Amino acid sequence: MTHQVESLLRFVNDELLADCEKKAAPDTPLFDDGWIDSLKILHLIAFVEIQAGRKIPDELIVMDRFRTVGEIARNFLETWRQ
Amino acid sequence: MATVISISHVHEPDADLWISAEGLPRLSGAAAALLWALDDKFRNAALLTGAEERRFPTLIAEDVLERSEYFAAFPGCASRVTSPRPGDNHFLSPAVCYHCYDMLKDRILANNVAFTCCGTCFRSDVRDGTHLWDFTMREVVFLGSAEFVQRQREVWMTKATRFARGLHLDASLAPANDPFFGAGNRGRKLLQSLKQLKYELSVPLHSRGSTPIASFNLHERFFTNRFQISLATGEPAHSGCVAFGLERWCMALLAREAATAALARVEEHDDLR
Repeated sequence: MTHQVESLLRFVNDELLADCEKKAAPDTPLFDDGWIDSLKILHLIAFVEIQAGRKIPDELIVMDRFRTVGEIARNFLETWRQ
Repeated sequence: MATVISISHVHEPDADLWISAEGLPRLSGAAAALLWALDDKFRNAALLTGAEERRFPTLIAEDVLERSEYFAAFPGCASRVTSPRPGDNHFLSPAVCYHCYDMLKDRILANNVAFTCCGTCFRSDVRDGTHLWDFTMREVVFLGSAEFVQRQREVWMTKATRFARGLHLDASLAPANDPFFGAGNRGRKLLQSLKQLKYELSVPLHSRGSTPIASFNLHERFFTNRFQISLATGEPAHSGCVAFGLERWCMALLAREAATAALARVEEHDDLR
């Protein structure tokens, strides 16, 4: 697990899903079971933007890039930070 | 490249389909028959898939729209009715499917269910010749398991796209990003877009871009939570709907050919079955 995945996973489980019994793994679909609501998605995007050091345009917020913690890290943290 | 269709003729007083400056449509002759021929196709296709038909009032109670969060999602779009009776708080229905959720409120669904309904709907959107204040909507509404609702939407997206293209419409199916149910803030809009809860079938009806003629919507548990509609397992049901704007279908067809030719084309097509 990369540092970026680890850091994002910690934020998702400790902050966003603090009130959930279930916890996410790097490959857990985040949007299938209503875990992430309309407020949490904004917190998630804000966290990723701070970590990435840049804004994420709305048109890049698509399921192919946002399905799991692993995919978010790969698409916005590992690539953008290089 | 898409052909941009002129709709300027719809404002000519003797047009088969005439639209007033207030966004009120009037259909004459073969154009009126065209609207009901289209509706017949959608209705019959829905009945063939097992949907039950329902007829709902044109008026809808304020508390049903309130519970649906309509006023928050679409501020200023609802048309209030003035009643001679004090205490009546009703609006002209902005969509037919809200009646379905109200009809099923506090119910437990033993099985997956589908309903089809047609009604006049009213939305005070921007008027540009395609956004009508008063229009006719045929809907198919699904309630049940998430898999059932998603499958129904898939089936209808395929059927409707094939049907439109069979009528020689330059129709394209794509996820929609405009406000939808409960879409009052950025978070909800992003979730809707991310989860592709809404697709639209659109045609290039005017020079500024394409115009939706049908929408295919997943509501997840939005309405069933608010109207307390459950599955036998005790969990809230999922819901979804498919909506066809009949005047827009007519506008798209009449922009291409005369009403009699369009009517004949619709009547001979069986692609929705």
